[in-house]
Amino acid sequence: MLRFLVRRSLGALVILVIVSMVTYALFFAIPADPARLYCGKTCSPENLALIKHDMGFDKSWPVQYWDWLSAIFTGNSYNGVNCSAPCFGYSFDKKELVGSILADRFPTTLSLTIGSAVIFLLFGIGTGMLAAHKQGKALDKIASSASLVVSSMQIYVAGPLALVALCYSTDLLDLPNYVPITEDPVGWFTGLLVPWIVLSLIWTANYTRMTRSSMVEQLSEDYVRTARAKGMSGTSVFMRYAWRGAMGTIVTVFGIDLGVLLGGAIITETTFSLHGLGELAIHSFRDSDLSLLVGVTVVAATLIVFFNIIVDAAYALIDPRIRLA
Amino acid sequence: MSSRKSRLAAAIMVAGALTVTTACSSGHSNESAKTGASKAPVTATTISVGTAEDSKGPAIAEPGAKKGGTVNMIDRDDFSHLDPAMVYMNYNAEVSLLFTRQLTGYKTAADGSQKLVGDLATDTGSTTDGGKTWKFTLKDGVKWQDGTPITSADIKYSIERTYASFVKGGPTYIQSWISGDKYREAYAGPYDGKGLDAITTPDDKTVVIAFQDAHPDANFTLAMTGYGVVSKAHDTKEEYDKKPFSSGPYQITEHVNDRSLDLERNPNWDGATDPIRNAYPDKWHMTFGVQAQQSTERFMADNGDDKNAFSFHNQVHTTYIDKVKADEKLKSRTLEGLTPYVDYYYINNTRIKDQKVREALVKAFPHQQTRQLQGGTSYGDYATSYMSPTVLGYESYDPFDVLKKPQGDTEAAKKLLTDANALNTTIVYAYNNTPVQQKVTEAIRTNLEAAGFKFVPHPLDSKTYYDAIQQVNNEFDLYWGGWGADWPTGYTSLQPVWDGRAIADGGQNYAHVNDPEINAAMDAAVKIADPVAQGKAWAAIDKKLQDKAYSIPDVYQRSLSLYGSGLGGVKFDTLAGLQSPLNIYVK
Repeated sequence: MLRFLVRRSLGALVILVIVSMVTYALFFAIPADPARLYCGKTCSPENLALIKHDMGFDKSWPVQYWDWLSAIFTGNSYNGVNCSAPCFGYSFDKKELVGSILADRFPTTLSLTIGSAVIFLLFGIGTGMLAAHKQGKALDKIASSASLVVSSMQIYVAGPLALVALCYSTDLLDLPNYVPITEDPVGWFTGLLVPWIVLSLIWTANYTRMTRSSMVEQLSEDYVRTARAKGMSGTSVFMRYAWRGAMGTIVTVFGIDLGVLLGGAIITETTFSLHGLGELAIHSFRDSDLSLLVGVTVVAATLIVFFNIIVDAAYALIDPRIRLA
Repeated sequence: MSSRKSRLAAAIMVAGALTVTTACSSGHSNESAKTGASKAPVTATTISVGTAEDSKGPAIAEPGAKKGGTVNMIDRDDFSHLDPAMVYMNYNAEVSLLFTRQLTGYKTAADGSQKLVGDLATDTGSTTDGGKTWKFTLKDGVKWQDGTPITSADIKYSIERTYASFVKGGPTYIQSWISGDKYREAYAGPYDGKGLDAITTPDDKTVVIAFQDAHPDANFTLAMTGYGVVSKAHDTKEEYDKKPFSSGPYQITEHVNDRSLDLERNPNWDGATDPIRNAYPDKWHMTFGVQAQQSTERFMADNGDDKNAFSFHNQVHTTYIDKVKADEKLKSRTLEGLTPYVDYYYINNTRIKDQKVREALVKAFPHQQTRQLQGGTSYGDYATSYMSPTVLGYESYDPFDVLKKPQGDTEAAKKLLTDANALNTTIVYAYNNTPVQQKVTEAIRTNLEAAGFKFVPHPLDSKTYYDAIQQVNNEFDLYWGGWGADWPTGYTSLQPVWDGRAIADGGQNYAHVNDPEINAAMDAAVKIADPVAQGKAWAAIDKKLQDKAYSIPDVYQRSLSLYGSGLGGVKFDTLAGLQSPLNIYVK
């Protein structure tokens, strides 16, 4: 297991270097000049040159990339602002170190993800198992139809509708807002309730369908039939055999989903005015904030790669037939 | 009476004459949006230069206003700059009114007329050499948030630090007028202990600024937040941008990047020294990240804290414009106003040299269709000039009868092309490749092809749009662009865009117009000391630009916004094109 983790971690590092390099290359492939954004309306060539120099945009992109990469290990200084290793750069737009901005934004995305994940796992897997248990009956048909309808919805449709129905018009629930759980646990819960409900509604539907189909598939497997033939109770067969078999698919998808959500739920955060990594990604692209763009991209990629490794490792625990090589 | 004072008196005498009414179509009903019918005239803003008496505080009281309470502000983005030296965008400047003061500023009367008055200064300044040297005297009782007096040394220091290399994006007019275009080579800022000789402070109350040339409207320039006062004792250089030290009625208590900005009263601000700011609320709570659709829905629902909310910048989302305009209940808290921004379709004069061809483009242009696609009457009023009606000296003039046929006169255009033997002239139209602009492009294509042009659309990515059209050797014939005056005189409205000597890659002369007659007229207009006479000179230049069909003025942009029912005194600031915080109170 240790060898597996070390090998996959080294592979992940290579992937992250490639991702950051590609982000740099793509940024400079767009023939827009980010320095112009900082130069004001009546921008003189002298001022533009000064800004380019200050921001480091007067160097070639490979040099800029190397400066960024080496700063992670050696630290750097930006306009008099010291950035000690590991330094992920400086946002000239926000006048803050990229590492500080990411650390500030991550708890919002983490809270959004954890809360909604708890809801959609509980309800999604629960409903899916019930539907599989009552396969072909009314409950199964209702759950399957409802999940099909809900999973067809998008956040940008369900979100504004929920906001109008639950917040703007009726004042039933608090407007979406993030406060740290350590400062105000109640405020943290009420501020994220609407985003959790909307996000988990759609994901619950997806997990219901996935759980149901995995369970139905497992229940038709030979080993399950054998267990039943040997006289094992229906509940034991359902929970110990079929459920364990279905877990592999669910864990795989959940691991990837978790990485994607933690990397930034862009539409959800924008819809609910939450200041997490997703919103930051949009802002950094819109404002041509290269350091921040690379920072957000690398964090998102790290999380996806990390959870992929976790998923692979978890396979071995869930299914004894799988051995890590 | 100094020559400056004579000028002021003349300005005041004719201030009434500056209210100009245009015949511009600005129908406010939905029907007018569809037909382009002219329903209501556009009234230009009245701008004048006030006296020392006008410069005395307090500000003109808002009827029924009371002090106290917290006003909420919701908007899409955090303010990109709060350090006065870096403030250029109207959004940043509008919030800065609450905590940054300048030598001069604008006082708005109940009827909407505006006067340039002394803010920190006792009047709008004086000059005895036609605007080359300006003298300002500070009022008694103007203080920083820590109670220390604001002195002439602070004013000098504030201008000096605009030369520092960390200052990015702010206005550069005063620096260039003092030290030339390459002003940073002449002076590096005050941080090495050196001062700027061109600014002298004979005593704590007096500051004298000497320019290389005459700039009779420099007192308007100094009203820009970009020349607001900065405390030397509390100057944190780059960090100042996050939390400036207050000279205004409020001070920043907390600023969380991209999330919120909270202000509370500055106990050392004295309303008796301030003719501009009323400062009714006790606190301001501003939150960011709210998209225009969300803010519109929140204002329409008018619940909870949103009752006491407004937005500087978020306008009514296009989805809701018709609904908001049709809702009688929302009328009392809907603000509509003319902004200083004018949309132009620039004709590339490097490529289209034949005036008759340019005239054909002007005649054929489908103003009605393009405006409708961008929001109809709420988007703006048909423009026939390059100067906005919000600019001093604006005069209505419509040499190509655009207002009679806003949908475009393709027959007349075709005749012009035929007479010029230029049928099938190719027009490469560069546009921002967005869904709305794709539709706008089709509307333009329909008319230009009907007029006898060969139309070639050329989509550009939003991020590279300006970079592409700002190249002198670009290969486009027609492209959209906008411009807004930095202060309401013709100089900043026309000179940056139409001075032929400023043609350069990345420059603002998008149409590449280099007309010696226009250049000379601009040089002459700049030197006219009397603001009213100067306004007339700029209006005459505007007419010359139109007569020669150098480009196509399209729309004087409008703004449509909502605010909560718990607020009073919410006004529209025509100089910035935003909701003004100056008279807002909690009911």
